[in-house]
Order: sequence, then structure tokens, then C-alpha cells
Amino acid sequence: MTDAAIPAVRLQAARLDRGGRTILSGLDLVVPTGGITAVLGPSGSGKSTLLAALTGELPVASGALEVFGNPIPRSARALLEMRKGLGVLLQGNGLLTDLTVAENVALPLRTHTRLPEPVLQALVRMKLHAVGLLAAADAWPRELSGGMARRVALARALALDPPLMLYDEPLTGLDPIASGVITALIQRLNRTLGLTSIIVSHHVSETLPICDHAVVIANGRIVFAGTPDDLQSTIDPLVRQFLDGQPDGPIPFDAPVRAYGEAAA
Amino acid sequence: MAFADAIRSIGRGGLFGLTMLRGSAPTRDFLAELVREIYKVGARSLPIIAVGGAFVGLVLTLQGYRTLSTYGAVDALSTLLGLSLYRELAPVLTALLFIGRAGSSIAAELGLMRATDQIKALELMAIDPVAKVVAPRFWAAVLTMPLLAAIFISLAISAGWFQAVQVLGIDNGSFWSGLRGSVDLWDDFGVSMLKSAVFGGIAALVAAYVGFHAEPTIEGTSVATTRAVVNASLLVLVFNFILSALLFR
Amino acid sequence: MAIRGPRLEFAVGAFLLLALASLLVLALASTNRNFGFGGSHYPLVAKFTQLGQLRTNAPVKIGGVVVGQVQKIELDPKTFQSVVTLSIDGRYNTLSADTSAGIFTSGLLGESYIGLSPGGDPESLKPGDEIGFTQPAVDLLQLVGKYMFSSGGKPAGDDAATDAPADPAAPPAPEGQTP
Repeated sequence: MTDAAIPAVRLQAARLDRGGRTILSGLDLVVPTGGITAVLGPSGSGKSTLLAALTGELPVASGALEVFGNPIPRSARALLEMRKGLGVLLQGNGLLTDLTVAENVALPLRTHTRLPEPVLQALVRMKLHAVGLLAAADAWPRELSGGMARRVALARALALDPPLMLYDEPLTGLDPIASGVITALIQRLNRTLGLTSIIVSHHVSETLPICDHAVVIANGRIVFAGTPDDLQSTIDPLVRQFLDGQPDGPIPFDAPVRAYGEAAA
Repeated sequence: MAFADAIRSIGRGGLFGLTMLRGSAPTRDFLAELVREIYKVGARSLPIIAVGGAFVGLVLTLQGYRTLSTYGAVDALSTLLGLSLYRELAPVLTALLFIGRAGSSIAAELGLMRATDQIKALELMAIDPVAKVVAPRFWAAVLTMPLLAAIFISLAISAGWFQAVQVLGIDNGSFWSGLRGSVDLWDDFGVSMLKSAVFGGIAALVAAYVGFHAEPTIEGTSVATTRAVVNASLLVLVFNFILSALLFR
Repeated sequence: MAIRGPRLEFAVGAFLLLALASLLVLALASTNRNFGFGGSHYPLVAKFTQLGQLRTNAPVKIGGVVVGQVQKIELDPKTFQSVVTLSIDGRYNTLSADTSAGIFTSGLLGESYIGLSPGGDPESLKPGDEIGFTQPAVDLLQLVGKYMFSSGGKPAGDDAATDAPADPAAPPAPEGQTP
């Protein structure tokens, strides 16, 4: 039961550094509880860095970051607790190859709860049914197609019914049908389970229709935050280039002169 | 600075090992994983260890016979076979074969897990990946290495017996009595098993550490596999000397 | 992992069984089975003027049967004799008080061991007793030298303490050895 007034995520003048370089700075953002928020932007703009900050992998260099009103903890034990309330769908799916589909989904339940075995099995079947893969319960991850594997990972991420779901490029490498399945699932589950979802993606046309808020990251900062309709009608040239897929514009076609061949970034 | 880096990586390895030990608890899930790893690490190494052992026994007997017969000391052949196998050859050769077979597969598996986000997924699910993924492999290696060494020795002695008694014509009785008289249960057999267990632990720890910290790319995985085999082999040879110096008086 | 469930457990069980069986067979068939427990030992002391190649853990035999081992070798600072502590199996506790101990070599190049020859005294040696009659180790090189040069005018000129022939006029000794 979350108080609607407490935002799911709040960033205040936050700066994120990685490897000694500042990736994002001057972040001021409020993600309201409930609903789906899309974090869009060109490749390499720092979307994954933002996600890393939300999961606690990357501490904030300066400024504040709060999830449901609490700052991200630094100590290992508190971080463990916080992550139990977080569901993450990773780009590589991260299904354990030594376990079947059902055992993968059962993993968080087995580790963090003391439910009796029949209850646990019922929950696993429920989660698999929610993503439409009940029939694949005894399959091995390597036997699944890309879309099916991603759905299993989604079922696993939802195993503990976390209030916040993070999706890291969920549509990468999927054909149009599988892509449609995932977006439909994200939307449906967010509504029926009362979650808050944050989707990090660069698939604008597939993601915008299902989200309630949109954030665009480019040039190391947030260049847009608002509703999808406002985003479609923006006149900011950088955002415009991104939305329309223009090959040249504020992000130039010719690669900028840089010291290549040295220690890669 | 390379020296300081070396010290730091030893420290990181030690901390890694400590984390792994702390996360080893005999729960039902852990035991299921342990059984699976014993299969992957132990049972699947059986063929190479068995064949290797047989041929080492054969060549040791052959070369031993040639050298000893120039001194008229062929009676000592079984002693030579037994002591050199138990004290040095079986633990070290089994360990090196083990590193090549099981160590490289541990490093590759963990590197692949890193590259396919499995380790990150575990971390984000609030599950300690070192306890879940590394500990079962470590204990499986520590448990199965002495067993594999024992199989190596059995086959080496059997092959050696065949070569000595059936082919070279050494007396069967003096072969066995010479062997039994010179191999001590605790000082040779026991130490051999201890060494093997230690080498198994080293192999698994090094391979797991390198694989776990590999770059999450395809290239990273292959680099990790090679490094694991090289580093584990060197460490085993170093520790073999240390253990031999300490344990054999 | 293609293998799982009952097949996995069977494979692991079979592997463990095979390995433990070979462990057992090895321990019993190829070692001296000296488990170290189930049997008490008692100490005896013997003093020798010359030890030769005797080391600790060398066997102590009576008539060729191993009855114990050498536990400790020390030097008596007053008499400069070696003091050897023998650990004898508790089963053989009726060694006569006039038992003699000698240092022998098994075979031409073999290891040294202590051989005990029982006497006729009805009294037995108690734990910690000293064996009164001892025979020092025989130095093979000296013996050969003695035989070789005893027919000539020059005496061998060695006593039990030195190894090499001290007489420079004598022909070099190693020539006479068989390889």
C-alpha cells in the first residue's frame, strides 16, 4: 500500500559518475507511483547508468536519489533488503542455465520465503501462466526462443510481487510479434498488479503507446520529461531528431574528432 | 607497481575465498547443486584421469626398470613406482589434468554466466552469486580431487604391475611386498590425499575467481579460460613444493 | 545440463562408489596398513658407537620380523655414544634382559635397520630399559679396504670413526669397488 503522494523515484540535482567520467549530471526527476514511465534516448546516452543507480549498483556521486522515499542504501545487508522489493528485467535475461524454467522462477521464492513446497509450486505456475508460458515449465532455458526466455525472466522478476519494476531494453532482439507480446504484458501486469514500471529503451514507437510518462536523456542530462503527447509535439531539435530518426541534426552524422585507438571508454 | 598489483590480486582472491566459505551452508538447495557439480567436475573427469593414470604407470615402470637394472636394483621397482606416484606424481598430474578438464570448464561457465547477465540477475534478486555459484563448485572439487587421485594411482599401479610382472618378468610376490613395505598409510597415502584435496580447492578457487571477474563479453570469456588454466597450474606447482617441504621429513 | 534427476544421482553415486572402492583397495593393497592405533608400544634404549645409515622410523626386527621402529636418535654428550630410542610393539613384551641389538643393512645398498637377538635370560626388558649388548654398524668401505690391504705391508690404518682410508701411500680405494 503505497501513499500516492510519495513518488516512486525522486532525483534531485543528482550526478552519476562511472570510471572517473561524469555520465549524467543535473538530474532532477520525479517518477510518480503507479503507471509506466519510459526512459528514452540515443545509444550511449546514459540510460543504463541511470538504471544502475536505481538498482543500487552505482552510488550517486552528488545530489539525492530516493526510491519510495528512502535513499538507496550503501551497506550490503540493507541493499539486499531493498533489492527484494525491486524487480529487474535484464537485457541478457539472466536465466540460470542449470535450472529449468520453473526452477528459475521459483528461485527468488525459495531463497527469500519459507513457503511450503505446494504453495511455492502453485505460485510459480501462477506467474508462468500470467506470462503465458505454463506449458514450458519444465523446459531448459536453452530450448526457449528469445521472446519466451524474456517472458520467463519477466515471470521471475515478478515472483516476489515487487512494487517497482525496471526494464532494461526489454524489446531488444525481438521480432514484431514477440515485441508486441512483451509490451502487452508490461502494460497488463502493471495495471492488474498495481506496479510502478520504468522502461529504459530506445524503441520509441513500441514503448510510447503504453507509457504514461516519458523522459528523454541525451548529452548527459534530461532533455525532456512529460507526457507522451507532449513528447510527440516537442520542437526541441535534439529530441525531434531522436523521435523522427533523422540521420543528421544536433547529433551529427560525421563522427566527432576524438582520440581513437587509445584506452577505450 | 606490478608487485603491488600482485599483492592486491592475492588479497582480492583471498577475500573472494572468504566470501565463498561464508556462503557455504549445507542447505537442501546447496546439496542439490553440490551433487550436480560433483557430476560435472568429478565424474566427467574420470576418463582422462583413468587413461592418464594407466599410461603414467606404464612409462614409470618402463623407465624405472631401465635405470634400476643398471644398478642391479630391480627389486626396488615397485617401491619406486609406489612412492613417486603417491608422493608427487599422482597429486600433481591429477591436479593438472583436472585443471585442464574441470578448471577450464568452471572458468568458462562462470565467464559465460557473467556475459549473459546471470550473475547480475542473481545480485539483483538479492542472492549472493558467490555463495550460489562458486561454493558448490569449490566443495565439489575439494571432495572429488582425492577420489580422482586414488583412481589415478589404482590404474597406474595396475598398469605398472602388468608391465613389471607380465612383461618384464619381475616376481609378483616381491612386487607387492616391496610396494607394501615402502608405502606408509598415513605418511604417503594420507598425505597424497591431503595434497589432492588442497590442489582441488586451489584449482576451483582460481578458476572460479577468474571466470567470475571476466569481462562480460565473448572475448572476456575465452581470456578467462586460458588465464584460469595457466594460473591454477602454476599455483598447484608452487603449493606442491610447499606442501612437500612441510609434510615429508 | 542435459542430465538431471534420477540419472544424475545415479551417475554421481556410481562415481563416488567407484572412487571410494579404489581408495579402500589402494589403502589395503598397496600400503603398509600401519593404521597407528589399536596397539600400544613401549620404549627401549640402546647405545651405539657407530650408527651408519640408521635413521628415525627405521624398522626394528627380530629374525626378520618387524616388531617396532626407531623413535629417536640422540647423542650422549658425556660418552659421545648415540642413544637410540626404540618403540617396540606391545605384543612383544617378553624380550629377555640379555637381548642384543645390532645395526644391519638389508641387502647391499638397502636401508639400515636394528636387529634384536634374544638371549636366554628369564627376566624381561621393562619399558624404558637399556639394551646392554650392542653392536655398531659395519662400514662396508672399511671392510673391503681391510680385506684388500690386509695381505700387504701397510695396515688399513682406520678406526671406526673415519670413512676414507687415511694412508696416502695406499693405492686409491674406489678402484676396487664393483660398479
